[in-house]
Amino acid sequence: MNNIIYLNGEEHKEFNLEEDTIIYHFSIDKSSDITINLNKEDITLYYYYNNINYNDNNYKIRVNHNKSNTKSFVYNHGVNVNNSKLHYWVDGYVPKKSNGCDCNQDNQIININDGNSKIWPNLLIDNFDVNANHAAYIGKFKEEDLFYIMSRGISRKKAYKLLLSGFLLNTDSIDKEKISDFVDEINKL
Amino acid sequence: MLNIKNLSVKVIDSDINILNKLNLEIGNGEVHAIMGPNGTGKSTLAKIIMGHYQYEVTNGSIKFNNKDITKLSVDERAKLGIFLSMQDPTVIDGVSNSEFIRTAQNEINGSKTNLYEFIKNMEFSLDDLKLDSNMIHRSINKDFSGGEKKKNEILQMKLLKPKFIILDELDSGLDVDSLKIVCKNINKYLKDNKECSILIITHYPRILEYIKPDYVHILKDGNIKKTGDMKLALEIEKNGYQIIGEENE
Ligand SMILES: Nc1ncnc2c1ncn2[C@@H]1O[C@H](COP(=O)(O)OP(=O)(O)OP(=O)(O)O)[C@@H](O)[C@H]1O
Ligand SMILES: [Mg+2]
Repeated sequence: MNNIIYLNGEEHKEFNLEEDTIIYHFSIDKSSDITINLNKEDITLYYYYNNINYNDNNYKIRVNHNKSNTKSFVYNHGVNVNNSKLHYWVDGYVPKKSNGCDCNQDNQIININDGNSKIWPNLLIDNFDVNANHAAYIGKFKEEDLFYIMSRGISRKKAYKLLLSGFLLNTDSIDKEKISDFVDEINKL
Repeated sequence: MLNIKNLSVKVIDSDINILNKLNLEIGNGEVHAIMGPNGTGKSTLAKIIMGHYQYEVTNGSIKFNNKDITKLSVDERAKLGIFLSMQDPTVIDGVSNSEFIRTAQNEINGSKTNLYEFIKNMEFSLDDLKLDSNMIHRSINKDFSGGEKKKNEILQMKLLKPKFIILDELDSGLDVDSLKIVCKNINKYLKDNKECSILIITHYPRILEYIKPDYVHILKDGNIKKTGDMKLALEIEKNGYQIIGEENE
């Protein structure tokens, strides 16, 4: 991967990409609106959005596959702490002229309490020659996971914390020094 | 070590009764085996000892070293030294094996284990079990083969040093050689920890040829219907469970 970008906080941005790119987007209680244009053939985007939410917020992301054989993998993970609104709009667009694209999104929101969390996954696909996938989950951490962790002597609170950091720091390649505020915020949960 | 009296268990918020007035006493250093047809409550027994959230004790008691544990949380039971190697170990995405096991060690020992010591012990244990060392950096049981999951349970056992071990169908998923290796590790552990007791849940006598049981129990319809020794296990292997049914009628 050539290009690695870290986003922290409130973002209304448009990216015009011409090379393989990883974007790590860490957001604490902010709304964001992101557009990404894949403007060169054969490039791949990995987008990791991790968000801790307290108040009402929206998150929109749109990936436009403007060229053939472009690939996108978008992972949106949110933890909704209070009973507020957390809404995700996740669009993947493959126009007719773009062949052989790969368009993937994985959306998950964990409600700590009874948050009003919603996800609108949207694959807008005008070309048959495409590989597209989306998954969405809204809910709590699974009791079975907590049971397994606790059965090794770990308290419920610590088990929760392990699951939270696993969920919000979901790839090994993150440079934790660049997101120390976010890591601190996880520890406050 | 473990003393179960008149234990009845049902599925929480339902009227599904699984165990019915079950009695079982396991002394220090003893090896017990439980066999029984599918769906008779073997795993339920294992899980209720560990404090699983889906089951509820409706009668009787479970005592561990004379202490009633039925009201304790799952982690409190583990901290007393109870360890359950699960029939179907859970996959947990995002949490690495090493972070998991290290946190567990710290919690059980009540102190931070030295990182160097931890890595050294981990490496020895991986080697003992013939597990690939990269598995400690992977998410817990994620994309592990069936046998690797079982070995991962025993890896945790070796590192967490429990006093009482339940093996729920450890032998399913392990190939012939792996079963031998894993049992060798367990026997070594028993030799080093003479007081440690084991409850082996299995369908086949093979594992009992490696880890010799003092008692073999047959669980059927939520209750222990018969207790014997290795000969009973071999008899079941040969003739099936019908012999138990006939004796009861
Ligand atoms: N949470 C549950 N809800 C409903 N029924 C349950 C639940 N847990 C267990 N049961 C039922 O209780 C019975 C005992 O299950 P258990 O898993 O203890 O069997 P087992 O003896 O371990 O069987 P196997 O040899 O197949 O592993 C089964 O009929 C099972 O379907
Ligand atoms: Mg079972």
